[in-house]
Amino acid sequence: MTAPAAIEVRDLHVVYDGLAAVRGLSFTVPAGGRMGLVGESGSGKSMTALALMGLLPPGWKAQGTILHDGVDLITQTDKALSARRGRTVSMVFQDPMSSLNPVRRVGDQIADVIRRHGGVGRHEAMGQTIDLMMQMNLPRPEQLARSYPHQISGGQKQRIMIAMALACYPQLIIADEPTTALDVTVQKQVLRLLSAATRERNSALLMITHDLPVIAAMCDTVAVMYAGRIVEYGPVRQVFRNPRHHYTRGLLDSQPTMDNIALDGSSRLTSIPGMVPPLPALPSGCAFHPRCPVATDICRARMPEIDAATGAACWHPVAASQPAVAS
Amino acid sequence: MTAMTIERRPLLALRDVTQSYQLPRTSLFGPRSSFTVLDGIDFDVCAGEAVGLVGESGAGKTTLTRILTGMERPQRGQVEFDGQDLWAAGAAERTRFRRSVQMVLQNPRSSLDPRMRIGTALLEPLRSLRIEGNHTRRIHEVLDQVGLDRSALGRFPHEFSGGQLQRIAIARALMPNPRVLVADEPVSALDVSIQAQVLNLLKDLVQDLQLGLVFIAHDLSVVAYTTSRVSVIAAGRIVEVGRPVELFTRPAAPATRNLVDAVLTVESGLAGTAL
Amino acid sequence: MTSLATAPAPAPARATRRRRRRNLTLTIGIVITAAFITIALASFLYLPHNPNIPRIPDRLLPAGSPGYLLGTDALGRDIFSQLMVGARTSLLVGAGAALISLLVGTVAGLSAAAFGRLTDETISRGADIMLSIPGMVTALVLAATIGSGALTTILALSAFFTPSFTRVIRSAALSVTQEDFVIAARLYGRPTWFILLRHVLPNVAGVMIVQFTLYFAAGILTEAGLSYLGVGVTRPSISWGMMLNEAQQQVGISSPLAMWPGLAIVIVVLGLNLLGDGLRDVLDPKLARRSS
Repeated sequence: MTAPAAIEVRDLHVVYDGLAAVRGLSFTVPAGGRMGLVGESGSGKSMTALALMGLLPPGWKAQGTILHDGVDLITQTDKALSARRGRTVSMVFQDPMSSLNPVRRVGDQIADVIRRHGGVGRHEAMGQTIDLMMQMNLPRPEQLARSYPHQISGGQKQRIMIAMALACYPQLIIADEPTTALDVTVQKQVLRLLSAATRERNSALLMITHDLPVIAAMCDTVAVMYAGRIVEYGPVRQVFRNPRHHYTRGLLDSQPTMDNIALDGSSRLTSIPGMVPPLPALPSGCAFHPRCPVATDICRARMPEIDAATGAACWHPVAASQPAVAS
Repeated sequence: MTAMTIERRPLLALRDVTQSYQLPRTSLFGPRSSFTVLDGIDFDVCAGEAVGLVGESGAGKTTLTRILTGMERPQRGQVEFDGQDLWAAGAAERTRFRRSVQMVLQNPRSSLDPRMRIGTALLEPLRSLRIEGNHTRRIHEVLDQVGLDRSALGRFPHEFSGGQLQRIAIARALMPNPRVLVADEPVSALDVSIQAQVLNLLKDLVQDLQLGLVFIAHDLSVVAYTTSRVSVIAAGRIVEVGRPVELFTRPAAPATRNLVDAVLTVESGLAGTAL
Repeated sequence: MTSLATAPAPAPARATRRRRRRNLTLTIGIVITAAFITIALASFLYLPHNPNIPRIPDRLLPAGSPGYLLGTDALGRDIFSQLMVGARTSLLVGAGAALISLLVGTVAGLSAAAFGRLTDETISRGADIMLSIPGMVTALVLAATIGSGALTTILALSAFFTPSFTRVIRSAALSVTQEDFVIAARLYGRPTWFILLRHVLPNVAGVMIVQFTLYFAAGILTEAGLSYLGVGVTRPSISWGMMLNEAQQQVGISSPLAMWPGLAIVIVVLGLNLLGDGLRDVLDPKLARRSS
């Protein structure tokens, strides 16, 4: 594949006054590709998302290279970045309630994006807005467009957010936990929609979540993050069917899904002992070693890099023949 | 295995519980309309049994929790503890209920006073429920049960991670030696790798202490893992009761079907059948 | 502490640097406030000159003249001594008004947050009504009816500050009462007054202290304003606002005369605000966690 990547991140660090939330992250999302960035709270996944959008909280700084659309986003000015947001790269946030302006009609908010980046008139933009809302399976779009955010449901709001993100056919959509705040029964609808809409527009998707099943359903490749680094990287099927890093393995094992419940109440989940280390007290070497069942001296002393053969940053990778999820 | 017992003697039970709230007047002289939150609910839990309650938000889970824990008095129907009607019983019985039915809340960070040391927080239930005895020994006992170190006692909540705080909250609920634990979404605020720890702990407690556990959640897969019997609530009514495996394989009510459909698993995702 | 593998700076140095930056605000605030209180109290023990006795031969001496650190005013009274006695008034009026509003506002705010809708409505609407009466007008009316003086000013300012205080405490207390630990305490059958004292009060104490310092500063400013208008304290008491008023007639003849009380007001008010900001950071348990 020679098509330019939707985004290419090289050795990204996100730091605050000596604290590093992200420590040397490299990955590539090909044009039209779908990648999942999975991790627990404190893994640095959300900081990565904010760094990619140039929306880091005050005091935090991104270092490294973020290549997108032929430019390095890190060197761009705030003004250049904001001109880009919504046009070549856009974001869907976790909480649709706080991402919409409460005192403006939702239709106008979508139309704003179209007008700002599409260079079309008010009337034309409204027409496109209604089309877009129809594509999002929103009921009675003309009427809904005149509603204020508080008048519509959470699922509808998130669909409005997706409509805004997709309005200008961006090359890349970054979705940060887009369904966590929604009711379980509407999560799937929203995911289905996000999946179909990105595919239609050939937009690349970077899905950031702690939810492994969501990644399994939505993405082609996955990067598993722990303590600010990628610990395993590869095609979703390969990584989830045959995890080589003990953290990935542990995450998969601790999922209470219908696959591994004996459903008579006698089964136990295997859990990862301990907790995610806080930023100021990261363990030496491989940050996972205090919780790892097979850690040795080398794990405590040296930080492993991603191994090309296994796709895992681990000194003692899980043997290739041990599937975590029965297939 | 335990589902086959001959005689069920519920520890805590709701019988035909109905609750409605009055809505604010829409016009000055119009009649006040009311909104029925719970409608003829039957629900019970026995000692050593874990039962689940699932439903979408707005189905009435919160109100049911409040009635189960005696925070709210239902308009109609009975709350029975150990065969006694809670709201018809005297003050002594009410006190026994307060000691015997404890609650674990969703967000461990907000369920502990940030300015109170863990040791003090654990003593709170004993002090307010006026429980006599060797408090220090009780604290150590409970810390062992939830797998926490004694060094936790002198520290403040902000020094702990979410998973540890949820253990502390469970420890606090266990302090008065309750017979029923009502857990309202106890893992939904926790990280995936921590959720399993807390779920396993709850399962162990049910076994070891013969506790009755009421596990309330919106995610059927988590509830199914923890409990042996699940009630599905929708629009204020219990629409289906069954063993988790039955609900998963043969959901009868539409609400159950919705919840089963909503469950995403890694395997169905990889197979491309999830969405 | 394990060392960081790739972080640019070792952990202890970083934490120290951050703490020092935050503490700088607090330190400056403490130093200024302490100096202000010390000077105000010292004025009871020692004054270079009697600030109320005119000495016509020494009038309008510049700063640094022998015996007169900051010079003298149009009647030959020592500026520095006047500033010292003025500090006394500022301390009395500012702290007094802030303290009264703190006490009344906390009781009212906690009650509004905890004792049901009717109490809340009564207290909140009462506060609204009081807030709609301009503070200056209250002070002027009070001064006209019961006479001007430090006590009148304290009363007027308290009436002016208490409603805002009540609102702040109420909203802080309301957010605490929404927390799950309050629900938990209720489950154990703790009465409302116990929850208020044991759980809510300690959690709004930070807000109370910060508000106190800010209203202390606002009290000093307003008192200066009232005295400048001539409805504050009168001699033999001295206020920085009064000094400003008197100096106004000399502007052009001796401009530094207006500068000294102005400077005193600016420095003290700034110091108290810095103290408030610094305390806010230190007392917030979430921010404090990061430093530990």
